[in-house]
Amino acid sequence: MKEIAVQLFGAFTELDRQREISVRVNGEHIADLRRAMREQLQQQFPQFRAGLVDYSVFADEKRVLRDSELLPADGRVAILPPVSGG
Amino acid sequence: MTTGNLWKVVDRAEAAIDPAESIAFVSDPGFGGIDVFIGKVRDLNQGRAVQGITYDLFEPLVLNEFQRLVDEAQAEFGPRVKLYVAHAKGRLAVGDVAVVVAAGSPHRDEAFRACRQLIEAVKHRSPIWKQEHYEEGDSEWSEGCSLCEPSAGHAQDHAHDHAH
Repeated sequence: MKEIAVQLFGAFTELDRQREISVRVNGEHIADLRRAMREQLQQQFPQFRAGLVDYSVFADEKRVLRDSELLPADGRVAILPPVSGG
Repeated sequence: MTTGNLWKVVDRAEAAIDPAESIAFVSDPGFGGIDVFIGKVRDLNQGRAVQGITYDLFEPLVLNEFQRLVDEAQAEFGPRVKLYVAHAKGRLAVGDVAVVVAAGSPHRDEAFRACRQLIEAVKHRSPIWKQEHYEEGDSEWSEGCSLCEPSAGHAQDHAHDHAH
């Protein structure tokens, strides 16, 4: 079991004042984090639409991380909901 | 490749984006055409009176993405195009400038096309989120475009029907 710190953006910022939540992940890949985060949000924040996780991507400061990629060694990622710049 | 271009994020609490800066930046004695897109906060969205917008950005990735998008446009339109991108962050009022994209080139066709390509990419592929604040006092995050799983090492957007 890995503990991943997920930095929050956009609509996800409503979940935590510090804009970060900790997700316990059973697995090594981004896809495992996605599954774990969806389940955790459903339990911890039943009012929040956890399905937003499915329309979001994970990233580090350099690039978007694919579902098939390994979780980063430093245990830190960002979750990016659908974007609306401009 | 992008030494002649400029991209940046401007914190509204510190400064406003100045479109004149973009025109000066993409100007060149050999350029006869400059196209500038200015995106501003408007007072109405989907029938609701808007008081302001807060832009949330994942800044390190935004800057990375801007560089990549500028590189893509440069590769497509060639070295005789100069490009500028600035996007605001923080709380903006109605009428404030949210984004400026400018392209300068010898002729208007490249300037128009490079500017259009760049603003569309900035809107659809940059990790930026818009929260609208309404006159009634409530706020809402705008619906946006999903950044899909990368197929070539970078984010791509497509339609909104995603099945991860």
